[in-house]
Amino acid sequence: MANAARLGNRVDVGLLAGCVVLSLIMVVLKDEDREPIASGLRRSLVAPLVGLQRGAERWRNAWVSSEQYQTTIDSLSLRGANAQAMRSENDQLRKLVGLGSRLEWGFVPAEALHSTAQSEELVTTITLTAGSTAGVKRYSPVVAPEGIVGMIQTADPSMSIAILYTHPDFHASAMSADGAAFGIIYPHSAGVTRGDAYMLEMRGVPTKVTLKPGAAIYTAGLGGVFPRGITIGNVVQELKTSEVWTRTYLVRPAVTPSRINTVLILNAQRVTQGTGNVWGGAAVNADSATRRIAAAGDSIARQAAALEAQARAAVLDSVRRATIDSVRRSLGAFIPQTDTSRATARPTRDSLRPPPDTAKKRP
Amino acid sequence: MSWTGMARTVIVCAILIVLHYTLRPLLAWRASVDFLIVALLLGAVRMRPGMGALYGFALGLLAGSLDVGGFGAAALGMSLIGFGASWLKAVFFADNLALNGFFLFIAKWLFDLIFLLVGHRAHGAELAMQLFVWSPLSAAVTAVAGVIALSILRPLMEMRTA
Repeated sequence: MANAARLGNRVDVGLLAGCVVLSLIMVVLKDEDREPIASGLRRSLVAPLVGLQRGAERWRNAWVSSEQYQTTIDSLSLRGANAQAMRSENDQLRKLVGLGSRLEWGFVPAEALHSTAQSEELVTTITLTAGSTAGVKRYSPVVAPEGIVGMIQTADPSMSIAILYTHPDFHASAMSADGAAFGIIYPHSAGVTRGDAYMLEMRGVPTKVTLKPGAAIYTAGLGGVFPRGITIGNVVQELKTSEVWTRTYLVRPAVTPSRINTVLILNAQRVTQGTGNVWGGAAVNADSATRRIAAAGDSIARQAAALEAQARAAVLDSVRRATIDSVRRSLGAFIPQTDTSRATARPTRDSLRPPPDTAKKRP
Repeated sequence: MSWTGMARTVIVCAILIVLHYTLRPLLAWRASVDFLIVALLLGAVRMRPGMGALYGFALGLLAGSLDVGGFGAAALGMSLIGFGASWLKAVFFADNLALNGFFLFIAKWLFDLIFLLVGHRAHGAELAMQLFVWSPLSAAVTAVAGVIALSILRPLMEMRTA
């Protein structure tokens, strides 16, 4: 028994020694001598395992590739979004350049820096990169190509802070495009819901005037802050209020505060002299011209009617006097020349000739 | 060991060898799991030390055939590991997963030590980095994976037959 165990141990040690010797021989062999042995194993016993490993690596590569594809897709999506943002900014800049070329003078371009405070649900102020050194003053109007944005509240030398039309302190005189309705624009006080947070109210519109939904609203130029004819927005609907003699309308602003990137600040001289047809003011001016033409037509018609009535009265007077004369002549009475038309048409002798005394006195 | 037990051991070792050539390349970790070491230890403890050395030698040839530079070194390392595991089978049969994990850790680290030194795979700082950073990490991962494999395959292995 002990011999068998000893023999077994010797066999084990012999096997270990054989394995070690063989391993060391393979270690010391040159590569060109080892390669045929390894190649033979790879082609025979290890071939299925090599196939499995190749399949696993393919799966791995496919997985990594899919991740790379996904990364590429994400990158392209991001680029697409950036391109869209750049296109939007480009459009806005084009509009701004167009607005600047239409205004020609009297403005300061500025970049709008939005506040990043997440706590503010409603954006009411923006910081502008132009200040008092560029001519910006308090209450200078801030405009965008789409229309009115707000006005300067604080002007520092290199920057300024403007309140938007959403600010509670903002108000501006407004009118309809045809100039029939005037009112005051205020931020929509009931705009607590997200949908109408940036809406405006046009208050104080006379009850006799009705504005239809979609009607354009412009600044009226009253008050001296905003020049006449800057687009404010469009009427959405009439609001029910307790006012009896005036109406209040909900107005959708033409400018979206979140999309404001670059603005123009009008200077005082430009405010005084007006902006003309820059913001579709052609409609306002055309309406004004129409009104003026209509008024002029009415005046002409009134004058024509007056002249006709005067001529008719003159004719009737002549006929009446002629009838009286003929009756008197038939009765043999004296007929004085008292026709009004002749009397007015003929100059009197005194007016043509100077008095005899004054003529004689001349040298 | 009965024929049934031998067949079960062969099946489990085959599963571990297949995992070595499928799951390991799929994961492609820097500190990778060495399922061959797990298969070697699981098989060697059920053999005589000489057969364990032979089994390790075979597994080493298998591993070395795909890595010509380490051909021979892997066989030497696994032969020694297989012999030692079989010689220490009484300890290894202890029904303690933590102890099994510890032996897996030691076996893997020892194998890497032999493989790197005999195969002249690295020198200087790189060798030290490999031996004292990556090898322990790989050994730890292998130990964890081995313990998990032992837990899963315990019903199949029926290790507590002795």
